[in-house]
Amino acid sequence: MLVTITLQAVLFLALFIALVAVALRDVLNSIIAFAVFSFAVAITWVLFAAPDVALTEAAVGAGITTILFLVTIARTVRPSSEELFESIGWRGGVLAVALMGLLVVTVPSLPAIGSTSAPIATAELTNYYLENADTETGVKNVVTAILVAYRGFDTLGEATVVITAGLAALIVLRQETFL
Amino acid sequence: MSTEEIDPTKEVNRIYVESTIIMTTVRLVVPFVFAYGLFVMFHGADSAGGGFQGGVIVAASILLVGFAFGIDATRIWISELLTRMAIVTGGTIFVLIGIGSVLNGGAFLDYSAYGLDKTGIKYIIEIIELAIGAIVSGVLIGLFFTLAKGDMRSGEDEQKSAESGQDQEATS
Repeated sequence: MLVTITLQAVLFLALFIALVAVALRDVLNSIIAFAVFSFAVAITWVLFAAPDVALTEAAVGAGITTILFLVTIARTVRPSSEELFESIGWRGGVLAVALMGLLVVTVPSLPAIGSTSAPIATAELTNYYLENADTETGVKNVVTAILVAYRGFDTLGEATVVITAGLAALIVLRQETFL
Repeated sequence: MSTEEIDPTKEVNRIYVESTIIMTTVRLVVPFVFAYGLFVMFHGADSAGGGFQGGVIVAASILLVGFAFGIDATRIWISELLTRMAIVTGGTIFVLIGIGSVLNGGAFLDYSAYGLDKTGIKYIIEIIELAIGAIVSGVLIGLFFTLAKGDMRSGEDEQKSAESGQDQEATS
């Protein structure tokens, strides 16, 4: 019960802050609001008992991304207007509401939170991981066992993506000095 | 781009000013943040966390140093060679562990081919977590210092570039 109330409060905060982040005129304010949004989402993951995802969301979404955004907008110019909020055009508004409506339509087809009849809970593979992860890999955190052992090849690909994307960004940003 | 063209109000924000409070706080906090990042990497096997998250936290501790002691000074201290080495070493270790299991007669990244018990496999997984952490922190630190290069200059550099009439980036 307490979890449900907390969850609802956090989700409401996330929704409110997301709208604020969109509507604020000054990009600096938007970035700060976006960091708060990421943190609210991280708390949501904790309440959903997904600490690995929560840790990633808090470290990457609320932490590093905010700093990289800040460093980037330091090179831009602030809008001269004194208005606090951006005026939103009706075309963009209609498009955003339509997209949101489309997403909301898919929500009822999702299994209920914590449902034992959800496909992921009844799948043979899930139960295999839960039963054998400790004996086969010696790792107690099943998420880590799947990431690094059972799905090690995927994680190697993921690491390659980070390396390639990072190097590409670094080369582009360095411009004249390529070494 | 000469210094005359730059908006003077924006330039003031870019100069690095020593702050005793920030420097002391960062000096106190950074070892703990760094150690926590390593803990998240190592302990990802038994609790929440792993290489990706730990790498981000380690990178964040270096960025804190950058904010407190000046970005250009920290960039020179950490050296681009070190970040590049971290990225390449991490990737190489991961691939070599995969190839090693093939050489031992197993499939690619099949850790049981090494013939170790489950504690041994756990250590292999933790080495891979560390390798992933090195990649992630290397990329993030490199990105930050490349993006922030030239921000928060020290006052001396400012005078020098004003005297020579050249941009700092052109001389460095």
